[in-house]
Amino acid sequence: MMKRNGLTIGERLLPALSIIGFLIAWQLFVTLRGIPPIYLPSPVAIVVAIYDMVVDGSLFANLGATLLRIFTGFLLAMVAGIAIGLIMGMSRLLYRIADPWIAALYPLPKISLIPLLIIWLGTGETYKIVISAVTAFFPIVMSTYAGVCQVDRDLMRAAEDLGANRRQVQFNVVIPAAVPTIFAGLQLGMGVTIILVIAAEMIGGSSRVGMGYVLIDAGQILETEKVFAALIVLALMGAAIMKLQQWIGNRLTPWSSGR
Amino acid sequence: MDVFVESVGKVWTGQHGAAVPALDTISHRFRSRRFSCILGPSGCGKSTLAQIIGGLEQPSSGQVEVRDPRSANETIPIGAESVMVWQNQNLFPWRTVIDNVAFGLEMRGIAKRERDGRARTLLASVGLQGFERHYPHQLSGGMRQRVALARALILGKPILLMDEPFGALDAQTKIVMQEELLRIFEETHKTVIFVTHSIDEAILLGDEIIMMTSRPGRIKEVIDVDLPRPRSLDMVNTPEFGALFDKAFHLIRDEVTKAMAEQSASIRGMT
Repeated sequence: MMKRNGLTIGERLLPALSIIGFLIAWQLFVTLRGIPPIYLPSPVAIVVAIYDMVVDGSLFANLGATLLRIFTGFLLAMVAGIAIGLIMGMSRLLYRIADPWIAALYPLPKISLIPLLIIWLGTGETYKIVISAVTAFFPIVMSTYAGVCQVDRDLMRAAEDLGANRRQVQFNVVIPAAVPTIFAGLQLGMGVTIILVIAAEMIGGSSRVGMGYVLIDAGQILETEKVFAALIVLALMGAAIMKLQQWIGNRLTPWSSGR
Repeated sequence: MDVFVESVGKVWTGQHGAAVPALDTISHRFRSRRFSCILGPSGCGKSTLAQIIGGLEQPSSGQVEVRDPRSANETIPIGAESVMVWQNQNLFPWRTVIDNVAFGLEMRGIAKRERDGRARTLLASVGLQGFERHYPHQLSGGMRQRVALARALILGKPILLMDEPFGALDAQTKIVMQEELLRIFEETHKTVIFVTHSIDEAILLGDEIIMMTSRPGRIKEVIDVDLPRPRSLDMVNTPEFGALFDKAFHLIRDEVTKAMAEQSASIRGMT
């Protein structure tokens, strides 16, 4: 028996076999029972729908628009969240000023801001980017603040003993020590950014482009295989973004990967 | 550098605002270029005393004065001429070994080329050449303590404070590190103030042993260690070493018993 990492070849193939087995069962089920495709299309029909979207270029146009909104919203939230989180963690005064706002707004489901934002901003790009940025801002600012507060006091004292002044301690100890926690916040922020961009594209998207719009449009005209196609593309996109973030996180914090 | 500790006391504010005395009127003169060991049962405030001397903690009463014996009239700001080596090293986990060692020079604004050169020389002298680009978590406990030592020594301060630096090391590594420290002391003759709870270690390393009582810490007795230098581990088997050990052991046994009785009383009090 060939073994690698303590797993036999059979055990290693099991995840792939599980998916393939499920797809075969699904295909047989809809074909043999004659399920109408508007309820449940077959896997083959879904693959064809994805292929069609690739060939006519609509997949890349929609996915591109969605990705652009996600990254713009996320970037705004990241810059604001990290900056304000750091300031709150380093200044008692600014913490006292900012804390009531964050405490009051954090538990509010940000999706409930959509009607208000549409009134203020219309249904264009600004609205979609603002709603995602506002949502991602909260986990990022809170993780950054927590990261700064959790810094090992002994490390700060050691730095002071080695001659670092207050500002040097903050730049050379507090901020680097907070990086892993900030990154955890960025991952949470990215997750909610994706959710909110898709939701905003589904609700009142006047631009008629984006994966959320594809979903709602295909759903309304009962193109169910296109709905499934869009869901699969979104799942793959989400997985790719998360993997990319983990990779960047590991590259930026090589000291925390080995523990 | 001479360090004059004058009637230093420290009181912590415990739970419910109760005052917990940690140090009770300590007075001692740590002489220039001497190796002084502070020995006492755990919780006697010996680490607190070292931190007060290093300016890392404020005394509740009394004062510490640092003076250069060549110009004894001027007092030097506390902490300005000393550097601490910590039991848990307190290395910066996000900095490589060389960047940890060069930290103090970097804070002084010394150019990268120069500080890296000095850090490299010092790392080689503690046997860590080739590990410059490693991160602390990739090193063993003994290697991390060598990095911590190099990081302190690079500043060239005349007073070296060491707070149980080898306390967390295994027995073999501890022996190697003690020999290393003896060698460094022979070369530099800094004023070393070394906190430990190990009698052997205090006798092997120190010129004098300041014996502390259990909490609140007071000085019970100062033992002069007149073993010749350079010291080596072979001295552990000499009758002189044995006599010093017996003396220190009997002094500390009473204090440890007292401290343990107090601890079990306070645990009983909590339940």
